[in-house]
Amino acid sequence: MTDGRIVVSGLTKHYRRVKAVDDLSFEVEPGRVTGFLGPNGAGKTTTLRMLLNLVTPTAGTATIGGRRYADLADPLRQVGAVLEASSAHRARTGRNHLRVICAAAGLPPRRVDEVLTLVGLTPAANRKFKGYSMGMRQRLGIAAAMLGDPRVLVLDEPANGLDPEGIRWMRDLLKGLAAEGRTVLVSSHLLSEMQLLADDVVIIAAGKLVTHGPVAAVVDGMADAGQVRVRTTQPEALVSALGPRAQVRPGPDGALLVTGVDAPAVGAAALRAGAELHELVTEKPDLERVFLELTAGKEAIR
Amino acid sequence: MTAVTATSLPPATGASQPGSGRASHLLRSELLKIRTTNTWWVFLIGVFLATALAATVWIAVGNSQINTAVAAGGEEFVPPEDAPEAQVEIMRQQFELSQDLTRTLHDVAAEIYTSGQFFGLLFAMLLGILLITNEYHHQTATTTFLVTPRRTRVVLAKLGTAMIGAGFFWAFATVLSIAAGAIFLAAKGYGIQLTEWPVLRAILLNALAYGLWGVLGVGLGVLIRSQIGAVLTGTVAYVIGTFLIQQVVFALYFLLDWEWVLDLMVLWPGVASQVMISPEPPYPQSPAWWVGVLVLVAYGVGFGIIGTLLTRRRDIS
Repeated sequence: MTDGRIVVSGLTKHYRRVKAVDDLSFEVEPGRVTGFLGPNGAGKTTTLRMLLNLVTPTAGTATIGGRRYADLADPLRQVGAVLEASSAHRARTGRNHLRVICAAAGLPPRRVDEVLTLVGLTPAANRKFKGYSMGMRQRLGIAAAMLGDPRVLVLDEPANGLDPEGIRWMRDLLKGLAAEGRTVLVSSHLLSEMQLLADDVVIIAAGKLVTHGPVAAVVDGMADAGQVRVRTTQPEALVSALGPRAQVRPGPDGALLVTGVDAPAVGAAALRAGAELHELVTEKPDLERVFLELTAGKEAIR
Repeated sequence: MTAVTATSLPPATGASQPGSGRASHLLRSELLKIRTTNTWWVFLIGVFLATALAATVWIAVGNSQINTAVAAGGEEFVPPEDAPEAQVEIMRQQFELSQDLTRTLHDVAAEIYTSGQFFGLLFAMLLGILLITNEYHHQTATTTFLVTPRRTRVVLAKLGTAMIGAGFFWAFATVLSIAAGAIFLAAKGYGIQLTEWPVLRAILLNALAYGLWGVLGVGLGVLIRSQIGAVLTGTVAYVIGTFLIQQVVFALYFLLDWEWVLDLMVLWPGVASQVMISPEPPYPQSPAWWVGVLVLVAYGVGFGIIGTLLTRRRDIS
């Protein structure tokens, strides 16, 4: 039995002209949801496909619980993967699609109905795949990934095509799976969703690692991006009381945007200056801003 | 989150108990893939129509051949005066066959019992092509190789499934044509000839031909991943290619008197399968039936190996 830890080490994939993935190393811990982020073309899908033995790396290794995917005895019992939403025969029903996988993996056929129930697809199980909506296709993909009750889940853009209710369902499901101690690795470019979902993030751009770690640490690491929004009736008095460390820019609707000092310092300065405050808010940088700053200048199209 | 946990699964195993990738599991899965789409019965209707039509034609041809052989008696072969020696020899062989009732019965029975072979083999090949190209066309290759990362096993299962499916087509066509042929022969007052070795050999080698054409289809599907491209290439090469090669070879033979081109013609798989199921040579100077077997087996093995190696190396994206 594996501990479900994913270790990517020096992973590299060169195509003829492009280094799709370039000496990438990171680790993914069990019991947490890890977001795998990067601009389009950053190499996310190639990395996940190398992890799953679908694409052969030029160099480096990727292991799950210490083993390469190709060496896992019962891969479906250990790793569930959702890679593209449209991966079923158009004329086959959802149930039959799952039966085919079950048969190949040697899993008991009753798992088909169990996972259909899990993803809420039972009413549409006997309909052909071509009649499925994007959201139903994603659910079928997750059902297939859960057939073997795996300890590790790898999902490539699972939120694509889901409606808000579906996205919320997916978030709850993945968080629940991680809470059970499973490893969940999710690639996405929906940053606001990732901020809600992920415990850890791995950010790559142009095939290289940009940063990785817990979401809060990555966001706080960009402390420069934090600013205080303040609204006052006596802006000149407040600015002179703030001192030289603070940089002040005019914000929307007459507010001031202050960087370089924190909110308590602004409040104290206002008290000293006798300035009347109508608003005092710390604007924390969100994942989106951090991401955009970190990946700025890395060309998406190479 | 109680619904997530699988209550019906025994604990996952370590490396000691290989579960997925077992041949029986993969074969069952591949056969389920065929059974859960419409392709197989569309093809089966095609096999039925081809067999029924061909059996009707061969019964008519056989009827006149048997009548000729029965009416023959004591006639001498009269060689035409201005024909070259080689052609006279061919004509003599054909004349002797037409006079020999036993050999004629074997030939007629074998032709009827392998009715529909031409299009039956085409359907066997198309089945093999679809087994592979469906995976790329519908992007299910990803799932298939996630379940079984040992890709050689997947290709072997597909080769086995192609042979099983093709064997099913063969059994269907053979039962149909034996029924029709037995009625015809009984009506003429003859036995059904099934215990005669040349006839039995033709039926069994026909089964081998179906299976091998299924294998060729899988190999072609690996080489040409585009579904429409593989289907068109295979069909054109088989139907028009065989016809064209025969025309060109006979033209070379008659115009330039190159006898060796007739020997080489068996290297084309379409010709090889005709050669191997015919009790009597299907064309003058045709090599023996087992040469056809060797050629077709060589193609089957070659395509199988190329298909496996390519599939192992290829990136799935």
